[in-house]
Amino acid sequence: MSGIVRLMDVVKDYPLGKVTVHALRKVNLTIDKGEFTVIAGPSGSGKTTLLNLIGCIDVATAGEVLVDGKSTGKLTDKQLTSLRLNSIGFIFQSFNLINVLDIRQNVEFPLLLQGGLSKAERQARVDDVVDKVGLRQFASQRPNELSGGQRQRVAIARALVTRPAIVLADEPTANLDSTTGTQIIDLMKEINHQDHTTFIFSTHDEKVMKRADRVVRILDGMLEAAGLSESRGPSESGGEQVHA
Amino acid sequence: MGVLVSIALRNLVQSPGRTSLLALAIGLVTTFLVLLMSLSLGINENLVNSATTMSAGHVNVAGFWKPTTGTAFPIVTGVGEVRKVVEASTPGLDYIVERHRGWGKIVSETGAIQSGLSGLVAADEGRFFDRLLLAPEAEYKEGGSEQIFGDARRLSEDDTIVLFSGQAKRLGVSVGDVVTIKTETMSGASNTADVTVVAIARDLGLLSSFSVFVPKSVVLDLYQLNEDTTGALWVYLDDIEESEATMTVVRGALLDAGFQLRDHESNPFFFKFEAVQGEDWTGQKLDVTWWQDEVSFLTWVLTAFDTLSWFLTLILVVIIAVGIMNAMWNAVRERTREVGTMRAIGMSQRRVLILFLLESLFLGLGATVIGAALGAAIALGVDAARIPVPSDAVRTILLSNELHLAVHPQSLLVAILSLTLFTSLSALWPAIRASRLQPVKALTHTE
Repeated sequence: MSGIVRLMDVVKDYPLGKVTVHALRKVNLTIDKGEFTVIAGPSGSGKTTLLNLIGCIDVATAGEVLVDGKSTGKLTDKQLTSLRLNSIGFIFQSFNLINVLDIRQNVEFPLLLQGGLSKAERQARVDDVVDKVGLRQFASQRPNELSGGQRQRVAIARALVTRPAIVLADEPTANLDSTTGTQIIDLMKEINHQDHTTFIFSTHDEKVMKRADRVVRILDGMLEAAGLSESRGPSESGGEQVHA
Repeated sequence: MGVLVSIALRNLVQSPGRTSLLALAIGLVTTFLVLLMSLSLGINENLVNSATTMSAGHVNVAGFWKPTTGTAFPIVTGVGEVRKVVEASTPGLDYIVERHRGWGKIVSETGAIQSGLSGLVAADEGRFFDRLLLAPEAEYKEGGSEQIFGDARRLSEDDTIVLFSGQAKRLGVSVGDVVTIKTETMSGASNTADVTVVAIARDLGLLSSFSVFVPKSVVLDLYQLNEDTTGALWVYLDDIEESEATMTVVRGALLDAGFQLRDHESNPFFFKFEAVQGEDWTGQKLDVTWWQDEVSFLTWVLTAFDTLSWFLTLILVVIIAVGIMNAMWNAVRERTREVGTMRAIGMSQRRVLILFLLESLFLGLGATVIGAALGAAIALGVDAARIPVPSDAVRTILLSNELHLAVHPQSLLVAILSLTLFTSLSALWPAIRASRLQPVKALTHTE
């Protein structure tokens, strides 16, 4: 299987004064369509860097990153922007909603950037995902009027509204209490089951890891080993192996 | 685009302190600019009104007559023939009046002044008597009343004179008094005429300092001239905007009719004397000008005022621009993570740029529209109040003894658009920087 995400000998270095920080060292990884994958590791291990490269908001120092069949290193900023808009959904640790827009407008925002849909079609899409995350009654409220868990649900709705091939979530439960965090992971997993959307998210929370289909462990910029979480997901890829 | 507009507007509302402060500053500068422009337009209107009543017609056909190469007189001879050609050739002609020109000393029992003499035929005059506002007695007589005495239309009577209030004050005369005009005839002999003051007009700035009005007959008698001479034909048109073009047409017609013409020179007739006296010809040469030529010595007032206005405004605008840039830098810094988020979810650099420019555009547009409306309201209020100008020097510059401010829609539009453009451009560099933020760096930005 070719994988919806492929990293081949990917290196990411950051210059820090006179020192170079090796954030990723020759990482090889393939993630197939429909997988529900956790990138696990302690703080500073390279989880976020890995997600940033997959999310096309950063570029590798060396190696090749293929997302949805496209080699990101060869794309212009405009092409990368288009790839992010059309193929990737983002869920951030701090929710990163646009505070001046209400919930409905936040969710609709990526669709407006995409263009091409009529107002009625956009409304239908927004209603669909807002219902899916259970926030219909809050649709006209502003983000600062919602709880952390509700905000993260909005972020999930915003990530899903364009029906992306991949949803990336950087520590989506880090700012939530454990119950809410579990609910969020369950919601993501449910969507993964229903729509076969590929979810890749980072965490260092063991409880969250247990709910993933596949856990990719990273330490000091290197992938450690393959591992299976307790629950096997619906992924047909059998992607529990880390292709290192 | 709608969502960008929405975000831009809401971001402005989100920071009420910063937005209000900047809007206030931009609005006040706009008000200031509108007031200066209104004053400039007011001076311009005064200039046009006064000039085309007191100093010139829209187009002027004057001339110099040289009996010898070394002498010159501002006289048009054979005026009947000249007038026929002008009447036949002037498109959009309203009417023509004659002005007989002279220069003399006006003497009263207590004072004397030098002044130009404007000889007119009262019955032929058009707008002259409407524009000439008579002064209340208090303006020229110490302890005088607010009552207006006299009637300028009595210039239709022989041996009469209309003075301006400043002149009457210097001469110490009132309506009904007699003054003596002393001149020198073309043969060099002294001549005098006793004339009765029939009206005293309000000053019109510099234009009223060197001019008195008398019947045509007074000038003809003083200079011993015949009826077929005049100083100038003042041609009034239906549309003043056509003045310069009409001047060219009239010049062509007079040349075709066989008259000799001086080359066009943008100066009033009295600036040309010295040059004409030095020229090696005798006889008659006509001199055709338009009204701006005759008051070109006054246009410096407008040029200087406009230059000063824009210079002052520019200084204020630069200060505002620095403020806007600073505010936009703060906005970019505060919203770096938001920019990173928007870039991450697929917003292009161009749209980020537009978003920040829209913010400054809306701020600028809103503030300038309110500022311009306030400026216009103040200007109209001041104009309606007819505030008297106390200083002679200021009256000379303003060409009026009342503060006159004129508000034109075009000037409001210029103020709004130019300041909005400037404020928008002030945000360009911060906006470019915001659009070029790398998503990954923007997302990890900390205050």
